[in-house]
Amino acid sequence: MTAVSDSLSRPALPGRRRGHAARPGLESERWHGYLFIAPAFIFLCAVIVVPLIKAFWTSLERTRGLNTMFVGFDNYVRVLESEAFWNSLRVSLSFTALCVAMHMAIGLGLAMLLNRVAHARAVLRVAFLTPWMVAPAIGSTIWLWLLEPQFGVVNYLFSAVGLIDSYKAWLGEPSLAFGSIVAVDVWRGVPFVMLLLLAGLQTIPVEQYEAASIDGASPLQQFRYITLPNLKYFIVVASTLDIINTIRMFDIIAVMTGGGPVGATEVLPALLYNTAFRANHFGEAAAIGVLLLILVLAFSVLYVGLTRTHAQEGSR
Amino acid sequence: MNRVDLTPADILRWVLILAALAVTLFPFYWMVNTSLKPGPEVFQSPPTFFSSNWSFEAYRVVFETRPIGRYLLNSLVVSVGATALSVVLSALAAYGFTRFFVRGAAAFVLFLLFTKMLPETLLIIPYFQIMASLGLVDTYLALILAYSSFALPFSVWMLIGFFRTIPRDIDEAAIIDGASRLQTFFKVILPLARPGLVAVALFTFIIAWNSYVWALVLTTDANMFVVSVGIANLVGEYRVQWNELMAASVIAALPVMILYGFLNRHLVSAITAGAVKA
Repeated sequence: MTAVSDSLSRPALPGRRRGHAARPGLESERWHGYLFIAPAFIFLCAVIVVPLIKAFWTSLERTRGLNTMFVGFDNYVRVLESEAFWNSLRVSLSFTALCVAMHMAIGLGLAMLLNRVAHARAVLRVAFLTPWMVAPAIGSTIWLWLLEPQFGVVNYLFSAVGLIDSYKAWLGEPSLAFGSIVAVDVWRGVPFVMLLLLAGLQTIPVEQYEAASIDGASPLQQFRYITLPNLKYFIVVASTLDIINTIRMFDIIAVMTGGGPVGATEVLPALLYNTAFRANHFGEAAAIGVLLLILVLAFSVLYVGLTRTHAQEGSR
Repeated sequence: MNRVDLTPADILRWVLILAALAVTLFPFYWMVNTSLKPGPEVFQSPPTFFSSNWSFEAYRVVFETRPIGRYLLNSLVVSVGATALSVVLSALAAYGFTRFFVRGAAAFVLFLLFTKMLPETLLIIPYFQIMASLGLVDTYLALILAYSSFALPFSVWMLIGFFRTIPRDIDEAAIIDGASRLQTFFKVILPLARPGLVAVALFTFIIAWNSYVWALVLTTDANMFVVSVGIANLVGEYRVQWNELMAASVIAALPVMILYGFLNRHLVSAITAGAVKA
């Protein structure tokens, strides 16, 4: 019995097969694992790896009329020499930095508030998640109406409480449009961060806080010396993931501004989309995509490295 | 009954929570509120926060004058198709990963993680080119393949977690009883994994239903629009009234809200599982 369960829990390792050869059925199982995984593997190659390779290839080509020719890194040179790309990179980085900072600050605040709530926490958690559940395209449509220049309720509410002295075209002016998009993304992105940090907070033993209170630690000191150190891993993972998600976010921009006015909200995915499907420069768009990919991969490597070191530390 | 003592700190906490909740949920209230207003009242200033004339007129108009039904049908077909495809493939793969020694398994799982992080706008270009050259633009198939491509890594990831919780002794017992590997998988393990499969399927469905850019690029014929694209497209039309647009938004958001209600129990573990563990 132990022999069987051992071979099942560690199936078909080459060196371990000896001694089990007498059992029928299991000897042939060496390949079963590959057979089970093959469909997903082949599918992913077809729908992700092949398109990815094609995207790289496209970034090295240019189409003129009916002719497509290989131009080497010419598209990259053009992209890197264009004002639009650097504007877009600036917009993307400041958008991501601002949004992630606010997601983290508000998310942490909310998570700490909810962590101390004894009743109705499950209900509250789902209620707070609503902006994250609904399709970004639909959420953005709602915000288009809220921010509408003449009849939008945001203008009405803000002027009623004296925040603004005249109705604003929130998405019509460059500086306002950028802020508005950030606001919408904060509304949409906080729940995810809140959820991760709440999960983190719940791993902190209550006894630590109780002991600290007995020792006379102020709430601020408790936050500094108990909450933050315990939450460090969750904060780092949540912000890395959030950076990755925010820097490639496109749906909100696509519905609300398309990148305008005058490029004020043209994040890299928007520039990519506009270059490909408005200007019809697929080669340059693919080059922008590859540059964006490099940016995202840098953060992804960071993320994987972080979760792996943590897993190793945890298992030690 | 326990008596609840509210300290000033508790009161402050609840005030902050309720304020945050109000900001979070107000857009949804405004969507519903607007969708129930008669046309002229939508443009009334100051706006009415609770109309005395609520009616379902906007819903009737939007269904009668816009192909909302068609959009919903398209979304349903594509989301169900993508869910079925990716859950079947990922259940097989998750079984393979959790029951056998597979060379390169770690690398494959790492690859899954990376695919979750690819900028979708980059993949859309080659996707569009490939689908266009195959004549598949404006077909359900193109969208099902596209949606599955980003849903599958998520499903595999989640299902590996669920399959790990099913003890291998069960496989072993079935095989000793004379079942083949495939029989064991279909007749013994899949039924046991059903709660996990259902949760993953609902999540995949929601991700597909909520997706926007892929459908935006891969459909040109208005009859093939999915609901998110159809509604975003209405925004550009001057004839559309905001109450009708908000009614359409409610219709599009409702299925997802209902499904999340069913998923409530799995919601948190599912979201955190994929993110924090690696």
